[in-house]
Amino acid sequence: MKYQALLLAVPLFALAPGVQAADDGPALYLKKTCIACHGKDAKTPILPTYPKLAGQSADYAFNQMKDIASGARNNGQTAAMKGIMHLVSEEEMRTIANWLATLQ
Amino acid sequence: MFKQPLFKVLAITAGLTLALGQVGASPAWNEAGGEKDEALHLKGDPVNGRDVYEVCAACHLPEGWGSKDGTFPQLAGQHGTVIVKQLADIRSLNRDNPTMYPFALPASIGGAQALADVVAYLASLPMSPDNGVGPGTDLELGKQLYADNCVRCHGDQGQGDAEKFYPKLQGQHYEYILRQFREIKANKRKNANPDMVKQVHEFTEQQLLAVCDHASRIKPPADKMAPSADWKNPDFN
Repeated sequence: MKYQALLLAVPLFALAPGVQAADDGPALYLKKTCIACHGKDAKTPILPTYPKLAGQSADYAFNQMKDIASGARNNGQTAAMKGIMHLVSEEEMRTIANWLATLQ
Repeated sequence: MFKQPLFKVLAITAGLTLALGQVGASPAWNEAGGEKDEALHLKGDPVNGRDVYEVCAACHLPEGWGSKDGTFPQLAGQHGTVIVKQLADIRSLNRDNPTMYPFALPASIGGAQALADVVAYLASLPMSPDNGVGPGTDLELGKQLYADNCVRCHGDQGQGDAEKFYPKLQGQHYEYILRQFREIKANKRKNANPDMVKQVHEFTEQQLLAVCDHASRIKPPADKMAPSADWKNPDFN
């Protein structure tokens, strides 16, 4: 049921006018599987040691994604995320980061 | 209340450390007992299994098909015994998979009954007719290597063996099979069958690519596959 509500919510977000750059954020957040670890609201991570992302600085989030993908950052829990980051282009990282920054 | 999160943090740290290259001292392929046996003796409830599977579906997809690029394996159609073993191994840190680890925890999916339920549900799903395959450049070699090395356990049709915990290879994504092969060769997949570990060490890079390519092209029987690659799981619509 929760899943269903989520799938329905994505196209509605995507239809919202006027926020061209960020309106793919929710769709990417779902499709690139960010949602699995960081939670539907981006602030209920699956483990307490995983970060909340809602409201995070867009540049900070973008840089961490970029560095984890490239391996420039490989400390802490990055091994959990590295394996999926080849799925995300830098443009998509920017879109996701911009959208995360708009969340409360 | 304190014990659980502390254990989790320690376990994660251990899991990640191991995943980063330090291999445990005593690899265990398939010791009897523990949660695996407990789950296998329970009767699975596919209706509850659907709810358990919801968290898995974010990556393995509602259809259980994983991703063609092999980031996530296909689970649909896989032997229940194999999936129970992998889940129990991942959560007991006998298979290091940092991405999967938090999802295998009882806090995410539940205890032994949940394992029984989720595999009962997965058994009800049709398999992808369109899994990821290799480049197709060395198929004769791959076919021969498969016949000489893999058939004995994984079967001539890649059907595996549920009772012996040998996975089904039919319909599995090439990149996923290749990654497991590489991890076994690098001694990073602790719960691998020791006979296979020994065998894999003898494969050259070319042989490894060829045999994985061949395995990825073995299709499941027609009645086990979805009617088309566009099939959507109605349980999640």
